[in-house]
Amino acid sequence: MLLFRSEDEIDAWCAARTEPRGETLSLDIVWALSQAWYGNRISPSYRGRTQEEARRVFAEVGLTSPFWQS
Amino acid sequence: MGESLSDQDWRIRLYIYQFFVAHGRPPSHDEAAQHFRLTPDEARAAYHRLHDQHTLFLEPGADAVRMANPLSAVPTDFRVYVGDMAYWANCAWDSLGIPAMLGADARIQAGLAHSGEAVRYVVTNGTLQAEPFLVHFPLPFTRWYDDLVHT
Repeated sequence: MLLFRSEDEIDAWCAARTEPRGETLSLDIVWALSQAWYGNRISPSYRGRTQEEARRVFAEVGLTSPFWQS
Repeated sequence: MGESLSDQDWRIRLYIYQFFVAHGRPPSHDEAAQHFRLTPDEARAAYHRLHDQHTLFLEPGADAVRMANPLSAVPTDFRVYVGDMAYWANCAWDSLGIPAMLGADARIQAGLAHSGEAVRYVVTNGTLQAEPFLVHFPLPFTRWYDDLVHT
């Protein structure tokens, strides 16, 4: 996942490389997602995450479109 | 996916993460073998089981850890400074994953993909301070493990 200043930059980047055009999140949302996704990653009790648990993490930060569904 | 993970495998995974955080690099399987009093082959097999279960990722065709998300063992465009330590993050998301995982303040130096411009952002007391950058997720969640380096 790469960093850009605008949607136009993302369009140009993807077009120049025939990269798939996916979804864009603001860095603020990515920070919220990071806290939900990685907050327990070095907990001794961490045992991975099922697809259903991942979907719940996405929903916590408002990511509910098909792009984020398993 | 390979065989499921034992409690020992999960302890080895935690050791890898803790070592990575403390030293800025992942431990070799020889170092894990010494720590857990295993043979090198036993430790190598555990590393590969962890890889097969997507709990970390080895270099292709090798035994060395390349990614213990959000940490990267190889240089990237995302450098994360936490206290006296510096880490490589796998991507823009993971650059914030490191302070999230550590519950720590961080300073991030990153390169914008389109322009190559070097930019900075910080996390202080749980708050992100940054320009209104965007992060592009090229692949839907269902395809994240098809090509991990790409995503």
